[in-house]
Amino acid sequence: MTQPLPKLTAILNSKAPYSSTAGKDALDIALIFGSFEQPTSLFFQGDGVWQLSQGQDGTIISVKDYLKTFAAFEFYDLENIYVCQQSLIQRGLTADFHIEQVQVLAQKEFAEKLAIHHTVLRF
Amino acid sequence: MKKLAVVVTTPPYSNLSVTALDYVETALKSGVELVGVFFYQDGVIHANQQVDIASDEFQCIKHWQALQQTFKLPLHLCITAAEKRGLSDEQPNNIHSIFTVSGLGELVELVNKADRLVQF
Amino acid sequence: MTTLHIVRQSAFTSDDFAQCLQVLRNNDVIVFIDDGCYNLHHSLINTIDSAAEIQLKVIEKHAKARAVTIDETQYSVINMSNLVELTLTTNRVITWQ
Repeated sequence: MTQPLPKLTAILNSKAPYSSTAGKDALDIALIFGSFEQPTSLFFQGDGVWQLSQGQDGTIISVKDYLKTFAAFEFYDLENIYVCQQSLIQRGLTADFHIEQVQVLAQKEFAEKLAIHHTVLRF
Repeated sequence: MKKLAVVVTTPPYSNLSVTALDYVETALKSGVELVGVFFYQDGVIHANQQVDIASDEFQCIKHWQALQQTFKLPLHLCITAAEKRGLSDEQPNNIHSIFTVSGLGELVELVNKADRLVQF
Repeated sequence: MTTLHIVRQSAFTSDDFAQCLQVLRNNDVIVFIDDGCYNLHHSLINTIDSAAEIQLKVIEKHAKARAVTIDETQYSVINMSNLVELTLTTNRVITWQ
């Protein structure tokens, strides 16, 4: 039996971090996929880009600061982190993120990158 | 023959879940192999035995039960998401018996077993 | 290598359909289901590049239930079996909800 090629999974984050659990639910999946050595990329689009903003502090409004865990992505081999440039521009944001290794992609490149993945989960 | 996996994230009282059920039922009845359904986020509310939907409304859980029995369809419940919503597999257990208590590791399995994963 | 986009939300309520359009590639397929049917007459539809050869489809009963009229010169009418087939014949599925 031949070993199948590992399937690339994309997790597409589309929600702002605090008023819904979507960001945390997506993070939990990312960490599990990472720890199972499942090649996984993280995409941030729409209000999902707020999850990456530098300087936010959820503890002020009693949110357990799950965004801090993003710093551990490298440890989980989650090294492909892409953000939609157009979404940043629409929100007046600059590429000022609270983690390293984020790649800002123009709309077309963002779309192309997403399309190399076999499975896409969106939260 | 290609295999499918399905993720359900919407609650049993939403018409969005009827669509998910319709999709799964249609796939199974046309002979497509479904490696499993994974209930996540508010989808886990399906497993709560105490959910009581008025008898003149659509009974999602009865339909899932029929599919599970007829097609031996695995229905996986993310226990972390479930516990957050008042479900427990300890005494008193309030999880409907048609569900298999699982974790996110099971989702990794489903992604690997299936040719396509569809999220609802 | 085509992507099947399943659109389930009204663009009058959420940004999901607009985000779907951001990642659209040539020859992709969009299926409007559930409240996604309300997008059939949304102005965002007109922003889709006709040269991209995007296939636009709608689940008939979901539109009919909502009294949304379907212009069959623009959209092809499908049923749930067709949606199952599409998930298997395209290369990946993204659900916009």
